Amino acid sequence: MIWKDEYKIGVELVDEQHKELFKRLGDFTQTVRSDKEKSDKKKEVEKTLSFMGEYVVTHFNAEEALQKKYKYPDFEKHHQIHDDFKAEVAKFQQKYQANAYDEDFVMEFSGRLLTWLINHVASTDQDIGEHINSIQEKEEESK
Amino acid sequence: MDVKNLNPIIAATDSVFQTMLSVKPEKGKVSIQEDLVTDKEANVIIGMTGDIKGSIVYSFSKDMALKVVEAMSGMEMQELDKFVTSAMGELGNIISGKATTGLAEQDLNCDIAPPQIVTGKDINISSESDKVLMVKFNTDLGEFDVGFSIN
Repeated sequence: MIWKDEYKIGVELVDEQHKELFKRLGDFTQTVRSDKEKSDKKKEVEKTLSFMGEYVVTHFNAEEALQKKYKYPDFEKHHQIHDDFKAEVAKFQQKYQANAYDEDFVMEFSGRLLTWLINHVASTDQDIGEHINSIQEKEEESK
Repeated sequence: MDVKNLNPIIAATDSVFQTMLSVKPEKGKVSIQEDLVTDKEANVIIGMTGDIKGSIVYSFSKDMALKVVEAMSGMEMQELDKFVTSAMGELGNIISGKATTGLAEQDLNCDIAPPQIVTGKDINISSESDKVLMVKFNTDLGEFDVGFSIN
């Protein structure tokens, strides 16, 4: 289990999606690290990676819609980070599909992915939570 | 070389360990060394260019590197395999990226290179620098060193 409550940003929709994202990330990393035969493993890694990749897009879109709704000042920068990440996953998927199963290549990618996603959620995304919550507090006060 | 250049790296290390691992690193001794020699097995080297040319080296014991990746992944780790070293490399990359933001506040504009990993025992990481600033950290997950060599 990768998810920890400390990673919450205090916005329910985003926190729920982060939990789901980390669940799929866990499925992917566990498959990568399993002792299965290469031929079985290649398919399973591909499946869990695309399962995670699809959710990354769903989640990034939902999070960016929220950022727009609340006029998040760092929207452009954050959007760029999301785009770069999606491009990197797509690049990996392409290379992965085109070649035989390369253990080092897959292990390297997934280790980096793990740390990157934890940092993105536990650190970079925290500012979104602060921004949205400060606006909601102001709205409450003016009621 | 100025010891104050080390401060943004110390602050970034502290902040990243707290947000990502809920671990507070205790800063230990700061020393100046002639060479970067380490007895720790998992080393992440981040090259630096710009106003400061040199490198930052994060040295973890095998045990600590495994514990850090176990804490992040929720899985048991046995060896310093590619998954572990790559996850640690990205951690060094994140800390160093944050450190460059701190250096920019001292009017030093620096860029960092992708992490290089060196594993093994009693490593001498050669560099062009004459001196290396070293700071030791202690955490609940083990001890590690951060070296900053400026060419």
